[in-house]
Amino acid sequence: MSAFSWHEDVTLKRQSVSRRGFLYGTSAAAAVGAFNFHDVMSAQAADLRKQGRAMILLFMQGGPSQLETFDPKPGTDSGGPTKAISTAAPGIQIAEGWEETAKQMQDIAVIRSMTNKEGQHDRAVYQMHTGYIPSGSIKHPALGCNLAHELSHAERELPAVVSIGNGRAAGIGGSGAGFLGVDYEPFHVANPGKLPENVAMTVNESRFKRRLGLLDQLEDEFASQGGATVVENHRRITDKSSKLVLSPLTKTFDLSHESAATRESYGNTDFGRGCLLARRLIESGVTFVEVRLGNWDTHQDNFDAVKGLARQCDPALAALIADLKQRGLFDKTLIVWTGEFGRTPRVNPRTGRDHWPRNFNALLAGGGVKGGQVIGETSKDGTGLVKDPVSVPDLFCSICKSLEVNPSKENMSPLGRPMKIVDGGKPVDGLFA
Amino acid sequence: MIVRSRWFSVGLALALTYGITAAVCAAGSSSAPADSNTVAAEVDRLILTDLRHSGVTPVDRCNDADFLRRTTLDITGQLPSPRDVTIFSLDPEANKREELIEQLLRSPEYGKNWARYWRDVVYMPATDIRARIAQADFEHWMALRLSSGVGWDRIVTSMLTATGDVREHPETALLIAQGGQSEEIAAEACRIFLGIQMQCANCHDHPSDVWKRNQFHELAAYFPRIAVRQTQQPLAFEIASVNADRGRGDFMRENPEQFVRFNDRNGDGKITKEEMRNRASMLPGNGIPAQLVDRIFEQGDSNKDDALTAEEIKSMPVPNQARRGSTEHYMPDLNDPASKGKLIQPKFFVDDSSPGRGLSDEGRRAAVANAFTSRKNPWFARAIVNRVWAEFLGEGFYMPIDDMGPTRTARFPEAIDALAKGFVSNDHDIRWLVRTIAMTQTYQRKVAAKPVAEDALPFAAVTPTRLRADLVFNSLFQILGINENSNEGREAMGGPRAYQREPRFQFDFLFGVDPSVPKDDITGNVPQSLYLMNSNALRAALTANNNTRLGKILRENKREGDALGELYLLVLAREPSKHEIEICQTYIKDVGQRGEAYEDLMWSLLNSSEFLSKR
Repeated sequence: MSAFSWHEDVTLKRQSVSRRGFLYGTSAAAAVGAFNFHDVMSAQAADLRKQGRAMILLFMQGGPSQLETFDPKPGTDSGGPTKAISTAAPGIQIAEGWEETAKQMQDIAVIRSMTNKEGQHDRAVYQMHTGYIPSGSIKHPALGCNLAHELSHAERELPAVVSIGNGRAAGIGGSGAGFLGVDYEPFHVANPGKLPENVAMTVNESRFKRRLGLLDQLEDEFASQGGATVVENHRRITDKSSKLVLSPLTKTFDLSHESAATRESYGNTDFGRGCLLARRLIESGVTFVEVRLGNWDTHQDNFDAVKGLARQCDPALAALIADLKQRGLFDKTLIVWTGEFGRTPRVNPRTGRDHWPRNFNALLAGGGVKGGQVIGETSKDGTGLVKDPVSVPDLFCSICKSLEVNPSKENMSPLGRPMKIVDGGKPVDGLFA
Repeated sequence: MIVRSRWFSVGLALALTYGITAAVCAAGSSSAPADSNTVAAEVDRLILTDLRHSGVTPVDRCNDADFLRRTTLDITGQLPSPRDVTIFSLDPEANKREELIEQLLRSPEYGKNWARYWRDVVYMPATDIRARIAQADFEHWMALRLSSGVGWDRIVTSMLTATGDVREHPETALLIAQGGQSEEIAAEACRIFLGIQMQCANCHDHPSDVWKRNQFHELAAYFPRIAVRQTQQPLAFEIASVNADRGRGDFMRENPEQFVRFNDRNGDGKITKEEMRNRASMLPGNGIPAQLVDRIFEQGDSNKDDALTAEEIKSMPVPNQARRGSTEHYMPDLNDPASKGKLIQPKFFVDDSSPGRGLSDEGRRAAVANAFTSRKNPWFARAIVNRVWAEFLGEGFYMPIDDMGPTRTARFPEAIDALAKGFVSNDHDIRWLVRTIAMTQTYQRKVAAKPVAEDALPFAAVTPTRLRADLVFNSLFQILGINENSNEGREAMGGPRAYQREPRFQFDFLFGVDPSVPKDDITGNVPQSLYLMNSNALRAALTANNNTRLGKILRENKREGDALGELYLLVLAREPSKHEIEICQTYIKDVGQRGEAYEDLMWSLLNSSEFLSKR
């Protein structure tokens, strides 16, 4: 019953990458003092590109307005003052403020017909992460953790799941591994660009290693006094942590390895840095990265607020697509942009918009998704769906299709109740046409 | 009995100070209260008989230092100081263990420690994280009751019948944690207070359980009139009883045209507040209260002409609580989820008792509290006994601890029932339960790894499990000499979310685990390990300069044997073994620099599994 599954039951789709060779490669390079992240990466990159499917979730926490993002309604009462702009995909218009994203529209599929019933933040966030309605008695794994459980390497120095942003609020509802256990728990990076908390050693490397040796010796006493199992478990965790601390791959977290031009393209914002870090992590073999941007709960001053948020999100999203394409990672990496719900078509007296799960937006790009198209349609005033509703499970099934994961696969919950990765729903076929 | 009456007077004094009715504390049971030592001996006998019967030899009694550390952590959540260890080990009294237990139970830390345990039980699985604004108040509320020996039956009754502002009435914790949702409340109350998992029956008859889907919904039917409402203050909520049907809200949203037609007296296609208030009472049920009418207009009247059109209603925001708004519980029709479902009356699945139809929220919840806590309901006492026992021994009679019920098998069923019976005869006083468990020889055995075989009997030894987050936090702060409340500036920052800046909250955030999770499954994780290895907070306190605890030890103990003894007493609350002293002395010699070597030693002890575990 130990929580240490060590992936015995995992289908190691990514395993055919010569992981061991990759690691030897890095440490050998480091040993001769000639370590260069990109040299090592390029040595194995072809393999990684062939095998590793991965996902980046850009989560807009608070519920982004569909009318000021990807379903503008200019000239209607609902639309407010927001204008529409043309994009690189003929016939697709999105809201002004998203000019960089517009240039990448040939690679983006816009779902305008996301629909759900949950209008309360916590519950909707939980649902958009797990696909399930929250319940006190079971902690459902987030989809990202399920994907990592299916796809990630058994032996790895970096965590399988990383979540970036929003300061200390790492544990937003439903973003955890639930019953899949600690191996798939997201590793949280509060400030992208800096090494994550407590990863940097407080003493030099040789002293750190010396300490680990001493710790290992001293553990024997408790092991001989009845604590053998505890000591064994603890040694595994200590081993994983110290591997991470000592790993050359921690350089992944350091954005100074990127050119100034690349960093600039993502924008000088935390979200931009988060997206750049996401790309670096995917490149280093991480399966699932979530980058969060908060403050979308625009009950007042919706129009100005969204303008400010778009200034952070637009360049980062566009740069991420361009960068992944340039590096040949785009076809195997799915980018999903969404929030927990949309906002009321009616503008409230405080020039804000309130919660509106009836129709909202999601963007999909990469991972085999056909770009330059719109799925679904809302009514002229934006108050309802006209065609092709997409539920949360539908979206999740589509994600699974892109990542070649079987959504009906069941994992056993602690109570012995089998839980599907996605309960119900079907993939939106048009996405992959 | 002398000790007992002294507690009652302490309890009474507390009760008077904090306005708890004196009756709560008075002993008043029909059968004579069972004696702790007698029941402890009986439990030992029952367990030993079964163990011997299956050919298992129990391990020896643990030594004094281990008992002191274990009991102090389990009862008060604190690590004994080096001085405590020395005094206790040297104490020649034969009954010093019993006296220690009594002393720990009298400490205010007992109530605080277990209140934190219950805080985690209630809030960690919460589906509505807004509930956490009241968690400090809940802790305080619970600590007071546990310390003064308020019966568990009364505590649970308060939690099931609570109403009011969540901060003024923190006993609303469980209700607000489930967002006031009747089915969630039913499932969680049943799991936590009765140790029975019914939530699967929410959707289907469980293939192997005796309880049926219908019975789960009959339990939920005790709670449909609970509402979570936002109060005037920002980020403040209250639990309210809503006995009048709120169906109009839903009718209005679902049938805007019809709603306008019903209410529109003058036929102008819109409705005014006056029209809504007057005509609403013609619809089935009660009229719409003026306050609600005002709220509907505030949300819906977008052009501010003091009239609502069907179009305006259609573009109203979705209400925060997506409930049916009915005062009765309906079991959804699985073949037609959109339909209203079947009207269900409250009925208690354990004994099939029913409080009758049409009861108010107050009536229903009083009835369910009675049914839960009744002395005739065996699961109520068993659930708490199983929980507390598992926290002390590392494993429950039933595992997982919150999945008992008639189809599950208890190990040593007579032992858990002996404890349950004694607990009930002592008016559900958890202090009695703690004392009795701590007095058993079963609890006082050495730790040993759990037997590997699935069906092997537990309790031949105590399982060395990982300490809860609060216990690690207390230990760390105590060892490093950091005062939890030293940050004076925190209060000034204030606000309803101030609790999130508390060092304890942040630590719990990293280390916390739902206490209902089996201890075997709790092995720690990488971020926790990184915190202990590399965090700045610990680094500063780990330096061997004069101002730290380590610095003091090195200054006051020039001989390595003495210094090592002090260090081990400080961190692990025991003396080092000969072998350990050898390892350490070799290490000190190899490093060649005393301060640096000791920093490494202390780092290693804080990163050891023993520091994080029960021993």
